[in-house]
Amino acid sequence: MSTPLQTPENGLDLGGALQKPIQRRSFLRYSGATLAVGGLLLAGCDDDDEGDVTAEVQLGTGNVGVLNYAYALEQLEAAFYAQVIATPYTGITADETAALRAIARHEAIHRDFFKAAITRDAPGQIIGNLTPNFSAVTFSSRQSVLETARTFEDLGVAAYNGAGRLIDTSNAAGATYLLLAGKIVSVEARHAAQIRDIIQLGSFANDVVNAVGLDRALTPTEVLAAAQPFIRERINGSQIGS
Amino acid sequence: MNLFKILADLEKVDPEVMDRLNHRRSALAALGNITKKITLATAPAILGAAFNKTLAQGAGSPLNDVLNYALLLERLEAAFYIQALQAPTLTAAFTGNAGIRTGIEKIRDNENAHVKLLEAALGTNAAAAPRGFNFTAAYADLPTFLTFAQAFEDLGVRAYKGQAGNISRTATATIPSVSVTNAGQTSTVAIGTVNVLQVALQIHATEARHAAYVRYLRRQPALGSSGSAGNQFGWITLAQNNGAPAAVYGAGNGAAFPAESNVSQANVDLTTLMATPAYTAAEVSEAFDEALDSAKVREIATPFILP
Repeated sequence: MSTPLQTPENGLDLGGALQKPIQRRSFLRYSGATLAVGGLLLAGCDDDDEGDVTAEVQLGTGNVGVLNYAYALEQLEAAFYAQVIATPYTGITADETAALRAIARHEAIHRDFFKAAITRDAPGQIIGNLTPNFSAVTFSSRQSVLETARTFEDLGVAAYNGAGRLIDTSNAAGATYLLLAGKIVSVEARHAAQIRDIIQLGSFANDVVNAVGLDRALTPTEVLAAAQPFIRERINGSQIGS
Repeated sequence: MNLFKILADLEKVDPEVMDRLNHRRSALAALGNITKKITLATAPAILGAAFNKTLAQGAGSPLNDVLNYALLLERLEAAFYIQALQAPTLTAAFTGNAGIRTGIEKIRDNENAHVKLLEAALGTNAAAAPRGFNFTAAYADLPTFLTFAQAFEDLGVRAYKGQAGNISRTATATIPSVSVTNAGQTSTVAIGTVNVLQVALQIHATEARHAAYVRYLRRQPALGSSGSAGNQFGWITLAQNNGAPAAVYGAGNGAAFPAESNVSQANVDLTTLMATPAYTAAEVSEAFDEALDSAKVREIATPFILP
């Protein structure tokens, strides 16, 4: 089931939106790095779902790299929740359905926001649609789905927390994107706590908030190592910084 | 001197004064503008208060000002939970809901740790703690307490977010260690040199987890959730306050601080971005938390701080 993250059901229709006049500010500092995004063409050509070797997706450097990094993670989260909604687990409650449907929308909004913003502000530098690999997830199982959701949300929080200082805020564009990361990360933290409290009420901060009250912060290398098993393309974030 | 009262009054005259006064070198210019807007009779008191504040806050270091602002809010939050767990009006409720008591104690422990961490980072530049806090009205019963807890947590998330741009991404703080207590166990935690922006983000995320937990508690009918709070999850829909002070979810001062109902990010209106199915304003507002400026946050917090 090599389903693209951008399925027709949750796909993008950016054509109409981007024909609208969008203020074309120089949001991003381009740092001259070449971005290898063409390898995605290979993704759909492999019949072997389980062991396919696909090309590398280079996230890039500077602020574009950070934005592509966030876009990659949001693609992963959005695809996961789209599948959860499409095939609800056995015994799902009305409250759980409502919460998961809302989270699915939030993640799709994050994904589509990054796609629009990167396309507008860094033409030609956006990564393509990633192909998820959820073979480790049993979507009919409440435990499997909620524990995967917990993993993704906690990871997302740690990713944004670690990436904040990688955003160059020496211009207004960078400052805008740092603030946007802040606007998104707290929602991811709300998701993480919500999922955790659905699993067990009161576990909102267990084992992710340390003794001095700090949530986790991870480098792109650490985050991508954890996310890679869920993505068929090889994600290269080595140029983002750490 | 009733400093917070004066500052609150000052903000009514000039909502952006707190932001400007955070930079010492601009304080004189700012005060020049203020004096044009107030009567001559009150000018001396305001000038005196403003200079006191400027001198008290880390000799004008912008980073120390941000950290002292965070410290004030963390002290407020810590006191809110410490006092709640000791409030006679809540004793029975906490006894009957051991799980909630444990959850609230965990939040208290986190807030206390944040205070310790910020005090250690500021060292001798740490501002003196306020004389005290008054939350009596918040402790009438468990639902009321949870309503205020939601307000303080959601406010804290907005407050930290509002300072992200005021912390250099290269700023560091060296903290040898802090002594903290978690679940009744006191320990000394070695810290070392940390990136301040990253630590602020880590605290910010912890506050968001607290907020989501408290919001979800208020959804539970058994806890006396009533009306709109029974429909909420861990995130903020539009600017719905569900019993908390509306200002916590409202707009701040200036275009950078819209209300939580904002649907446009980086000039992208997300309600019109996608054709089918379009994202609703409620969904979009939930997907992004909004920042709040320090003047508005102080305005909301001031009634709980003893002058």
